[in-house]
Amino acid sequence: MTGTASREQRRWSGSRVSRGLFPALLWLASGVLLGFILLPVLGLVTATSPAGLRAAVRSGEIRDAVLLSVQDAAITAVVATVLGVPLAYLLARRRFPGHALVQAIVDLPLAVPHTVAGIALLFVFGRTGWLGAAAQATGFSFYGTQAGIVVAMLFVSAPFAVNSARVAFEALDPNVERAARSLGASPGQTFRRVTVPLAWRGVLTGAVLVYARSVSEFGAVVILAYYPATAPVEIYNLFLSAGLAESASAAVLLLLVALATFLVLRTLASGWLVAGARPRR
Amino acid sequence: MLTVSGVVTLAGSFRLGPLDLEVPGGRVLVVLGPSGAGKSMLLDTVAGFRSPRHGTVCLDGRDLTGLPPDQRGIGVVFQDAALFPHLSVRDNVGFALALRRQQRGRGGAVIDELLARFGIGHLARRAPGSLSGGERQRVALARALAARPAALLLDEPLSALDQPVREELREVLRTTLHELAVPAIHVTHDRDEALRLADDLAILDSGTLCQTGAADRLTGQPTDAVTARLLGWLALGSVRTATDGRFVGDVPISPAEHGGAGPGTVFYRPEEVRLGGPDRSSPPGLHVRARILDIVRTVPLARVLLDTTPPMTALVLHRDLDGLDGLGGDVEVTVPRHAVRVITDSAPAPSA
Repeated sequence: MTGTASREQRRWSGSRVSRGLFPALLWLASGVLLGFILLPVLGLVTATSPAGLRAAVRSGEIRDAVLLSVQDAAITAVVATVLGVPLAYLLARRRFPGHALVQAIVDLPLAVPHTVAGIALLFVFGRTGWLGAAAQATGFSFYGTQAGIVVAMLFVSAPFAVNSARVAFEALDPNVERAARSLGASPGQTFRRVTVPLAWRGVLTGAVLVYARSVSEFGAVVILAYYPATAPVEIYNLFLSAGLAESASAAVLLLLVALATFLVLRTLASGWLVAGARPRR
Repeated sequence: MLTVSGVVTLAGSFRLGPLDLEVPGGRVLVVLGPSGAGKSMLLDTVAGFRSPRHGTVCLDGRDLTGLPPDQRGIGVVFQDAALFPHLSVRDNVGFALALRRQQRGRGGAVIDELLARFGIGHLARRAPGSLSGGERQRVALARALAARPAALLLDEPLSALDQPVREELREVLRTTLHELAVPAIHVTHDRDEALRLADDLAILDSGTLCQTGAADRLTGQPTDAVTARLLGWLALGSVRTATDGRFVGDVPISPAEHGGAGPGTVFYRPEEVRLGGPDRSSPPGLHVRARILDIVRTVPLARVLLDTTPPMTALVLHRDLDGLDGLGGDVEVTVPRHAVRVITDSAPAPSA
């Protein structure tokens, strides 16, 4: 009797380890997925020797490719944020006819296979594409240039910038913005003094996601701009020409660079580095 | 003078209005109504957050109807205070002055004066998230006043507060509104709050005004059921006319006035119900003997449930409970004439 009672009590007083089939399934499924994510990374890292990594760093081609990837992903993150934030604000704050359609268009790139996106982009930005041909006339080209790489990266990653900022704007109490208006702030002043300071973490998170997505983009980039080779394209080339071991070294290098920048920005966006500075609500 | 004339505002299938309201400078109009009556929509329309389909909003003779909220000079205090979470208390209060680049010098003195006036000077450097509900509303009030508004709108500013804090802030609000001497519209669903703050009352239900007028007149002489209920009258039942007078169930009544010849509902004020000997100073509107069913010791007044047909409730002082026989005892039940009214069913809503 007392045993059952105290066991009951333990359960309800919130003991740390819960028992039963359902919690066990939760932990098991979670463990399987985490292992599935971590094991290949572990495999990749352990397959690479320090000497191989040094060789990769010294190789001009690999170094250039990694730098190019990082640079273009950063440019893409900035462009996606600048163009995505206004759309995110409209989606979060205004009700207009076709609201759902606009949101669907924003999400479209998520559903398009990336090689398909690359081919579609060729029709617009390729040498004979709608915009590409016009650009060609002025001596500018998207095909096989950094501009093309950014275009490809932007197409596949823009939804992250818009959606992340939209969620941040939606989480903001509309009355706070209204209060600013009633105190005499114009719409522009309200956006700058109230909305942005309260939603910048969401905007930055979007930029980080865009960056991460862009650094890893292969499909769309390889079709629109096979050369200059970004890191994923270079690694694919190495894999085809030199084999697994050699491409693994380059892969680890890209992995380290991508993870490092991702972690720094991610930390900034979610406040781990600036804990305490975040205003309480 | 804040004037709302012929305003109709639509939101989906909900329709507010047509509404006509006049709030002279220095007077407080309290809009009292149940949740979903359209009270906030009314404030949104006056503040400029919503455009009315028809009608105009004028302040001191200036037509505001087409102006954006930032050009109206109308202060708003929200239910959840809606402070800027990223700014300190001081910067919240100084927001309007910062927009005009006046937060230093003389502006700084204005901020200090407001912080002191609302007793929040010691919180100046705190973040809004660390404040209590009452403190937040003080900051919201100071912030609105710092902009020197030509009118003030209050959207249930006390509803989210605990009872003692709410009563304390009610007094702060009352003093502030009277000192401010601009037209003020205060919206609430709380009767006590409404009566404590109101110079004039407007009763809003399902988007239409039931009655408007001086608070004491509406409380004493409601002419429609919604107003009567919201202002503390209890419905007793339908009036029935027989050869020997008028009745509700078995209870004979003789109300001061009858709201027309049609079918009507009898309302009475429970705190005017007198238990024990009849009050000889005024002729009774209702007189009956009844058994006490139950006594509920609520505060500030206790509730006595009476075994009349239909059943009645009396609100009495606790000290008067001692004179009663207790449960099961018979008492004389008297309600003075001014506290019994017959309100014609679905009466048209006349406004003042």
